[in-house]
Amino acid sequence: MAQEEKIDQIGLLEEEELAAFIDHACELEHPREMVIDVLRAIQKNHGWVPDEGVELTATILGITPIEVEEVATFYDKIFRRQVGRFPIHICDSICCWSNGGEELAEQFQKTLGITFGETTKDGLFTLLPSCCLGVCGQAPAVMIHQKLYGPLQLDDVDELINRLRREASA
Amino acid sequence: MPTLTIDNQQVTVTDGSTVLDAAEQLGIIIPHFCYHKALGPVGSCRMCAVTVHEGTFKGLKMSCLVKAEEGMVVTTDDQQSVEFRARVGEWLMLNHPHDCPVCDEGGECQLQEMTIASGHGIRRYGGKKRTHNNQQLGSFVAQEMNRCIQCYRCVRTYKDYCGGSDFGVMGSRNRVFFGRYKEGPLESDFSGNIIDACPTGVFTDKTYRFKSRYWDLQEAPSVCPHCSLGCATIPGGRYGELQRVRSGVNEKVNGFFICDRGRFGSSYVNHPDRRRQVRSDGQPLTVGDGLSKLDAQARELIEEHGPEAVLLLGSNRASLETNWLLQRWAAELGCRAPLLSAHLQRHQAAQVAAFDLSDRLASLEKVRQSDLVVLFGVDPLAEAPMLAVALRQAARNGALIMVYDPRPIELPCEVDHQPTSPAQLLAMLVSDCEPEIVRIREMLSEAEMPVLVAGGDLLGAEGLLRVKQLAVEQSNEKRPCLIHPILGGPNSFGSAVLSLPEQDDLLTRLESGRTKMLICVETDPLLEAPEGERFGTALSHVDNLVVFDYLPTPLSVHANLFIPSTAPAESAGSFINNEGRQQLFAPVTNPRLPIAETGAGNHPPREFLSTAPGSDPQPAWQLLQQLLGDMGDLETVRQQMATAVPRLVDFTNLQPGGVCCRVTDADERSLYAGDLPEQPEGSLQLVVTPARYGSDLPSRFSAKLTPRFAPAVLQMNPKDAAALKLAAGSKVSLDTEVGSFNLILNCNKDVAAGCALVENGAAFPHLVPGGLPSFCQVSAGVRDD
Amino acid sequence: MSTPQLLFKNRRPGETVFIDGYKATGGYQGLEMALKDSSPEEIREQVKESGLRGRGGAGFPTGFKWNFFPSGAPGPKYLVCNCDEMEPGTYKDGVLLAADPHQLVEGMILSAFALQTDVGYIFIRYAYEQQADYLRKAIAEAKAAGYIGKNILGSGFDFELHVHGSAGRYILGEETALLNGLEGIRPNPRLKPPFPATRGLFGRPTTVNNVETIANIPHIITGGALWFRDLALTPGSSGTKLYGLSGHFNVTECFELPVGIPLREIVENYGGGIRGGRKFKACLPGGASTPYLTAEHMDVALDFDSLEKVDSRYGTAGVTAFDDQTCMVAATFNLINFFARESCGWCSPCRDGLVMVRWLLETIDNGQGTPEHLEMLKDQLKNIAGNSFCALAEGAMGPLAGLLNHFEQEIVDHIETGKCPFRK
Repeated sequence: MAQEEKIDQIGLLEEEELAAFIDHACELEHPREMVIDVLRAIQKNHGWVPDEGVELTATILGITPIEVEEVATFYDKIFRRQVGRFPIHICDSICCWSNGGEELAEQFQKTLGITFGETTKDGLFTLLPSCCLGVCGQAPAVMIHQKLYGPLQLDDVDELINRLRREASA
Repeated sequence: MPTLTIDNQQVTVTDGSTVLDAAEQLGIIIPHFCYHKALGPVGSCRMCAVTVHEGTFKGLKMSCLVKAEEGMVVTTDDQQSVEFRARVGEWLMLNHPHDCPVCDEGGECQLQEMTIASGHGIRRYGGKKRTHNNQQLGSFVAQEMNRCIQCYRCVRTYKDYCGGSDFGVMGSRNRVFFGRYKEGPLESDFSGNIIDACPTGVFTDKTYRFKSRYWDLQEAPSVCPHCSLGCATIPGGRYGELQRVRSGVNEKVNGFFICDRGRFGSSYVNHPDRRRQVRSDGQPLTVGDGLSKLDAQARELIEEHGPEAVLLLGSNRASLETNWLLQRWAAELGCRAPLLSAHLQRHQAAQVAAFDLSDRLASLEKVRQSDLVVLFGVDPLAEAPMLAVALRQAARNGALIMVYDPRPIELPCEVDHQPTSPAQLLAMLVSDCEPEIVRIREMLSEAEMPVLVAGGDLLGAEGLLRVKQLAVEQSNEKRPCLIHPILGGPNSFGSAVLSLPEQDDLLTRLESGRTKMLICVETDPLLEAPEGERFGTALSHVDNLVVFDYLPTPLSVHANLFIPSTAPAESAGSFINNEGRQQLFAPVTNPRLPIAETGAGNHPPREFLSTAPGSDPQPAWQLLQQLLGDMGDLETVRQQMATAVPRLVDFTNLQPGGVCCRVTDADERSLYAGDLPEQPEGSLQLVVTPARYGSDLPSRFSAKLTPRFAPAVLQMNPKDAAALKLAAGSKVSLDTEVGSFNLILNCNKDVAAGCALVENGAAFPHLVPGGLPSFCQVSAGVRDD
Repeated sequence: MSTPQLLFKNRRPGETVFIDGYKATGGYQGLEMALKDSSPEEIREQVKESGLRGRGGAGFPTGFKWNFFPSGAPGPKYLVCNCDEMEPGTYKDGVLLAADPHQLVEGMILSAFALQTDVGYIFIRYAYEQQADYLRKAIAEAKAAGYIGKNILGSGFDFELHVHGSAGRYILGEETALLNGLEGIRPNPRLKPPFPATRGLFGRPTTVNNVETIANIPHIITGGALWFRDLALTPGSSGTKLYGLSGHFNVTECFELPVGIPLREIVENYGGGIRGGRKFKACLPGGASTPYLTAEHMDVALDFDSLEKVDSRYGTAGVTAFDDQTCMVAATFNLINFFARESCGWCSPCRDGLVMVRWLLETIDNGQGTPEHLEMLKDQLKNIAGNSFCALAEGAMGPLAGLLNHFEQEIVDHIETGKCPFRK
């Protein structure tokens, strides 16, 4: 256990989680197949994947950091830069676009006072454009922490943001 | 052997050839980027499109992916193909900056050539270009990612082919980035190959940055002088300066790539301390006067003191021609035959390779094709770097690589390494019951193309003969068991081929006191022979020391008469590599003081001279011809040599950078190398290994390589260190037969038990690899000697 | 609703059916029957007979694909379910799994038995975490019931099933990219051949099938191949299909309807017409990569062959409608933007060609286009289509082809007036 604590120096994973990953990596013939699982777990705990997370993943899976980075930087739902506590993925694909997705995106930007790629000063929200979220029947939609919201009217934005703010201060 | 028609011309190609290969055979070069002969096709760039009219799959196809078929009809110049390739050209140029005027690739840019070949000319895209931040990748390779056209060749070269683990591709879509996880020097010993592989100016040679335009550069095919493999290189020079080296192509040897030692180890040619004038006891002389003086003195001494009075010493750095003319001059002078190496054991090992193993030598190509390679006493990255890359290719094709060596072997592939001390190695090779050799025998008997790689330095002549026994025993009617020997220097094999059977030792000769004049040609025994210090002492018996060299060696400073010779890149010549391949090199530049030096950063002085400053150095063979009073040119010398030494390949069949052939087989030489010494009780076996950089003298005198020079350490197995109560990281004293040295101790579990390992290099030149097996003591603390 | 409901048999709004509910309507009967009475060959034959074609978009006959599979080869073999449903306008697999996850689990076990693979993976997109949770629960239930594990129902057949998550990116839906993604390396598509049936996951024989395809297997086994064929309305077609409606329809829901249903019925009956009383202008009949249909195609049957005849594709049958106020240049720009952004970066036509197309459409949409831009657009279509490494850029050319086929005049209007005629 002492050694396990050492490989996760900044506490990116829960102790049991880390132990489970290490055990699972030992069982698998190709531990590398877990790379997304580990990165997602780190992101879930830490909000995003810092360099230490890439290095920790590499250590758990017995591969090099560049091998993890090659994969981590490919996927748009793995954050290699700090994001707010609530990264808001706003769908900009065709069904949401045809149902007022652009106006919705503008409303989010206006409400939060940030543009895409930015994080609010309080560190709560980051706005990100996203491809189709798979809820085309409920357009326009957004996703926050793998939870989907849609169809959203422009009026819903304030309420959603306020709800998340309350959640954050609770 | 399908026959197909390409652009109305018929061509017959070997089975498995692609349409791209077939077209090339007809002289039709289809533009391409991602395809590279060594890396194979991946079909990503789509540049090599052609139209298939008859064949299994018709229509616009990528010629790098389509196999040639019997009766296939293909056009490369039809409208569809031409238009599509122009579009690919346009796509690839979407983001490419118009910075060709300041790009080092200018003039040798495949993107430039292929874009023109594709027919794309006018830019139509008006959107934003993607841009990147660059990474600092160390002192060898400069990165300019904005120029990238995403052919993936760099990562396929660095990672897939050469096995580097700190480079990759990140991001996606039109923002893929090729580089390291974090900024920092590239770690691979083959990092420079991405410079050659990159078709444009993303990765360029940092050491050559802004020095020359390609068309101003003088280039010629050459042979790398840094180890015994003899890889093909193409050095380039300008204004008297050897500015860079790029990889040549030799499918039998290195293939398409070279190591960083070979690529960045060329600045010895421009060493600021290089002596470019004849000096006699400190006084400058013309070359003619220097040679006349030498000739007169040598003849006088022989007349007065007999044939022993003058001793000529050749070397494995000197060309075949030089070594042979040295023999002729000795005969002409009437002195005893020259020694062709100051390092007796290395020379003996080379003779075993050149004679006893000559009928079973394997090329690097054979190593790449092998399904089982067993290495005895070889650390490829230290002794023959491209061997490591060859082993990787074998491993990628499923070969098993087994290594028996006392050193902590690192290889860019999976390897079964058994740390084995030199004594264990020699013993196991002749054992019937030692479990490892039993296992090796079993596996060898099942292998289809087995190759044994044998390190001459560690095994010595006796060890090589034992490996031969194993190879003979494991050969059968279906297939031979071949040997790939690793030798001490670029022409070790060549000087061995020329050497006479009688064995003679430099030190014995010198210590006899009969030698009055020693003439060293392109060698410094102080640094290149195992007992440098003893040699230094023995030199006191010599009245007259003459040195021919192109390196600023310590010995050349002590010389009574110094005669500057040329570096391999400044002269024509030939080397024979470790597996007996006779290879020619051509002169790249003329010797002269680089303008960068004469001008001290400004314009050089406007004096009108008929010769360039510092242009006195001449090829050693040419100096010897003058001493022989023979006006024959190099061709004549070569003709005479090939007649005198029938084993050599007729030189008129060879070309620099082109055809190279193996010398013919020879009878066994049956050397007697002497009994192996007994290990004194309580001692450790001393293992001296070349440092990866700075062990061979040309690399030691190459400033470009200094970032890779390693500090001097002593390595031991942690168990041995514990038994001796020595702590890792502490200062220890190493006591050897030739002296005591203070070093820092490193513990490494991959060092064979019972061994003390030191690296010969710039930081620790005192012990030289390849000496007799010897023993040492290691103790705590610092000893003052 | 007269269409027999197979896949949506257990669907109730806002509910998810687990093992008890699933078994109550006949769930796992197919598996029990097959393991008791049928050989793997018989199941493969039945699937081939059923005429089932892949529901992931390409429409490759499933039985045919399975016939390539070396089910007798020794060593590990894999069955992979592609649930990386990421094509805009396509959400049917998500709905299916949210309603009734056991169908996929039973389908996977049956398919694995038919192919004699001992390990299965369900590769599921990032946004479907809810569905992934349902699947994990369903798999646990199936394990507890003895449908997964060693010696299933005493048949001697072993099978393990895993759910594997992703982290975004449309390219993972390409089967070889998906395999790389599963292996934890960069998910670029692989060079073919070798095909996954020969060298797939971890270099072993692998077959990759879509969620809906596999969910159909239990129904084919219980109902029979002929019955399944007869469910379709057009000759040569078979089965029902999940149609996910989106865009400007009044009703944007997912329906299970026969293969071969005419477009008119979708638009008028199921979609409830176009919202705001506007007119139907065009639709993507089967996801973002399928060329537009227009009002003139109202009577075209929605099936693989009929749509090919009108230069479109059945795709995933996710129908996205556009009303008469939609600028088709802007719509196509949106679609191309998706494809350009989702390119993996491997081949030039996709990585750079789509950027070129995106710039052309943007320029025209902004009113800065010239007749040369229109020519360039046609020229890009001609050269990108059919010439990329995988089907992504090929798919991106679908809407562009549709635009140029049916709405060239709209492009010309943009160019001639110097502005978008639809923008206020």
